[in-house]
Amino acid sequence: MPLGPGLLDELRRILGPDGLVASAEGRLVYECDMHTFYKGAPDVVALPESTAEVVAIVRLCRGERVPIVPRGSGTGLIGGAMAPLGGVMIGLNRMTRIVEIDLANRAATVQPGLINLWLTRAVQERGWFFAPDPSSQMVSSIGGNVSTNAGGPHCLKYGITANHVLGLELVTGAGEVVRLGGKVADRAGYDLTGVAVGSEGTFGLVTAVTVRLLHTAEAVQTILASFGSIEEASEAVSAIIAAGIIPAALEMLDELMIRAINEGTGAGYPKDAGAVLLIELDGPRAEVLAQAERVATICRERGALDVRVARDESERALLWKGRKEAAGAVGRLAPTYLLQDCVVPRSRLPEIMRALRAIAERHRVQIANVFHAGDGNLHPLILYDDRNPEELERAKAANEALLHACIAMGGTITGEHGVGLDKAKNLPLQYGEADLNFMARLRRIFDPDRIMNPGKLLPSHPACGEGFRPARPRVPEGAWI
Amino acid sequence: MSILARPIQGALAAIVGREALVDDTAARVSAAVDGLVPRWIVRPRSLEHVSRVLALAWDAELAVVPRGGGNALALGHPPSRLDLVLDLRRLDRVVEYNPDDLTVTVEAGTTMGALAARVGARRQLLPLDPAGVERRTLGGLAATDASGPLRARYGTMRDLLLGVRFVQADGVMTWGGAKVVKSVSGYDVPKLMVGALGTLGVLGELTLRLHPEPEFEATWLAVFTDVAAAQAFVARLVDSTVQPSRVEFLNRAGLAACGAGDGPAAVAVSIGTAEEAVRAQGETVARFAREAGAWLRPLGASFWAAHAEATALDGAIVLSVGTLVTLVGETAAETERAVAAAGVAATLTGAATLGSLRAAFPAVEPRAVGTLVERLRAFLAPVGGGVIIQRAPAAVRAAVDPWGPVEPGALSLMRGLKDEFDAKRVLNPGRFVGGL
Ligand SMILES: Cc1cc2nc3c(=O)[nH]c(=O)nc-3n(C[C@H](O)[C@H](O)[C@H](O)COP(=O)(O)OP(=O)(O)OC[C@H]3O[C@@H](n4cnc5c(N)ncnc54)[C@H](O)[C@@H]3O)c2cc1C
Repeated sequence: MPLGPGLLDELRRILGPDGLVASAEGRLVYECDMHTFYKGAPDVVALPESTAEVVAIVRLCRGERVPIVPRGSGTGLIGGAMAPLGGVMIGLNRMTRIVEIDLANRAATVQPGLINLWLTRAVQERGWFFAPDPSSQMVSSIGGNVSTNAGGPHCLKYGITANHVLGLELVTGAGEVVRLGGKVADRAGYDLTGVAVGSEGTFGLVTAVTVRLLHTAEAVQTILASFGSIEEASEAVSAIIAAGIIPAALEMLDELMIRAINEGTGAGYPKDAGAVLLIELDGPRAEVLAQAERVATICRERGALDVRVARDESERALLWKGRKEAAGAVGRLAPTYLLQDCVVPRSRLPEIMRALRAIAERHRVQIANVFHAGDGNLHPLILYDDRNPEELERAKAANEALLHACIAMGGTITGEHGVGLDKAKNLPLQYGEADLNFMARLRRIFDPDRIMNPGKLLPSHPACGEGFRPARPRVPEGAWI
Repeated sequence: MSILARPIQGALAAIVGREALVDDTAARVSAAVDGLVPRWIVRPRSLEHVSRVLALAWDAELAVVPRGGGNALALGHPPSRLDLVLDLRRLDRVVEYNPDDLTVTVEAGTTMGALAARVGARRQLLPLDPAGVERRTLGGLAATDASGPLRARYGTMRDLLLGVRFVQADGVMTWGGAKVVKSVSGYDVPKLMVGALGTLGVLGELTLRLHPEPEFEATWLAVFTDVAAAQAFVARLVDSTVQPSRVEFLNRAGLAACGAGDGPAAVAVSIGTAEEAVRAQGETVARFAREAGAWLRPLGASFWAAHAEATALDGAIVLSVGTLVTLVGETAAETERAVAAAGVAATLTGAATLGSLRAAFPAVEPRAVGTLVERLRAFLAPVGGGVIIQRAPAAVRAAVDPWGPVEPGALSLMRGLKDEFDAKRVLNPGRFVGGL
């Protein structure tokens, strides 16, 4: 829907000439996030530098019922920061200030456009860090992390973004600035901070975030164990957890992935390995040493072919190297892939891997696996050649089948990437009409006119529409009214 | 009984069975909430019952107070009206326990004691330890977001509740969250339900994240000459690599209540992990204590049980006082002075590294409570802190806002939520912030 010239003038008045991207080629940069499947360029991109400017834009758009799409760094993997219906995209990447660092109170307040890693860089010399560490942390914004409730390899021990957000400044879809939560714990009222985290820009725009900072661990120990099969590696994972050890990270690679990585940069994983486990422990030195020894013993007992313990930082980096290059390495196997993010209960890892192999066979696709084994969060890469439309269709079918399999095992359709446009249609796999209806009504509290990131997160299903009431139990035949 | 009441009663009995519907006077009087005597007490055996009872209550616009163990009924404003007490203690099944996944699903009336026994057999725990926790139900703990010393390491219910089945005010059964430890699919509805006091829905079934029991644990106590020294010690701990499970502040009365000796201010620290790591960290903690002018002395494991029992019974009035970590000492001193000005002494405890204090004292006149609470709120307002009355006689909570001010923009969203999900004000009417 083309915007009226009046609206553009108003935006220019609010933001100045440098604050807008209106040219066709300029807007093209913003037509998708990193799930490049879904394309939709906004009619204009607004680049505010303050909360006041954000408020002015939202009020203007609300008045004209123009859709708003927030965008951080655009590294999302869900079709989130893109504009399927056009409208105004609000890019937050000019709001990058660190407002306050208060180590004595273990907190920092930042603007949403700040890159995740920059916050850790600002405090690491004093021995602190910001725990959420999506693999995109060198490029993704904290506002984006908050809005997708991002995870990362180390969230097994440290939790996902929600566990580290103390407060937010939010400009709601109604154009109101609200301050939720803050540095002091124990607040009266509903935990609006908690539900706003992960709301993917459908409640409003996050314009400031107060986060918890943690003290850097005294010691880190990284172990690489290879196994003959995924089953054995999964058993080792269960045994580690059963021993009461919660590693900071517990990552697994499957056979196909190992092969791809070995053929590429040569991380030097054992050639005959059917699975590789990367285990990282951190904490007080004595704890890490004691646990590392036990983990190594457990892996050997479970039939590990090889157990390597990194002796220093450079060896540690080497063990991680292969894991970090996984996505690049599959490029050698196929031109492109669909990345999945579903979760199963950890104890069902062997079962889902069997199901996954069957799905790959049935749909004649290759699936390479690299995943957060500790919390059952899979990241299957379904390989296909995008020059062959039929192959894409098979990949898509395999993708859907995989989601169904995870749900059937009591899992969830997304563990950390989010829903966006990509999985909105899949939400009914996991939630009933009443559940979706509850969420749709929740959204309206923050965004009464539904201008915020429309089409994302919730399916456009009658269950979410106006006036729909899920079935209520009937009052028994009795007597009255 | 009014003419209208009779058919409602028939309908309730038809849902839950005559035996699960209590209407005799003595029982109703003893189930009174803040002096309001319910017309009925209903003891559902299933979520289906809860759903049908609420559908009826919605149509008849009855006011419903859900209850679990009854430990936190003196929280919030007195209800504005009351027809029906929904006693959830019969919903006490452990629905599904998956030790390998460190998750458990329980019905809301399950007590912590029962759950702890079940998962403790596998050396796992749900790390929540507020006062009197054994007798409290998981639904009640979630509705009030109650926490204790262990939150220093594990956080609160907010960090442990993965999924929740609840019944909306109009009877619609609803599910939010997931049954796995990691999920971002859809809104994080469990967060909305934690601490909502059942005002948006009656919690029916909870899926919780468990933790492994630490292999070994030790506790120490450092007694300081004043709160400033205690504060300095806490600051050292915060800025260190020590990973304690609990860092509990205690004032003189708090120490005495736990039977742990005498002194103006103390901090109890526990660490749980591999034995050698506990010892190594213990040495560091001892050094911090020495530098702050105190000796560290070991405490037996029974200290925390004594703490839980002592805080369960420690005063007719209990406040939670939220402050900055850096102001714990000053806030404790100010709280002692404010309570002393009302003519009684405060027992202070609380999670020092989170700035979360708890003050208990004997009943005083509502006006005196109002004065001291206002004084503390004024003291804390500049740093964004606050005071919530966790327990007090109804007269106090009728006279003094138990929640304190909420930022207007946030409050208007909260009102929006209540209007959307309970427009008829069926669930716990009037008890929550802003009289919601
Ligand atoms: C190589 C790679 C690795 C990745 N690894 C991980 C990983 O390990 N774990 C993980 O969880 N994710 C991972 N991701 C996904 C992605 O990086 C995260 O989802 C990240 O949080 C997105 O941040 P962003 O700033 O790029 O947000 P964007 O992509 O710009 O936006 C994401 C969503 O949030 C909304 N949004 C953004 N900013 C705001 C704001 N200020 N207010 C309101 N809404 C806003 C957008 O509308 C959109 O819906 C990875 C992505 C890549 C490309």
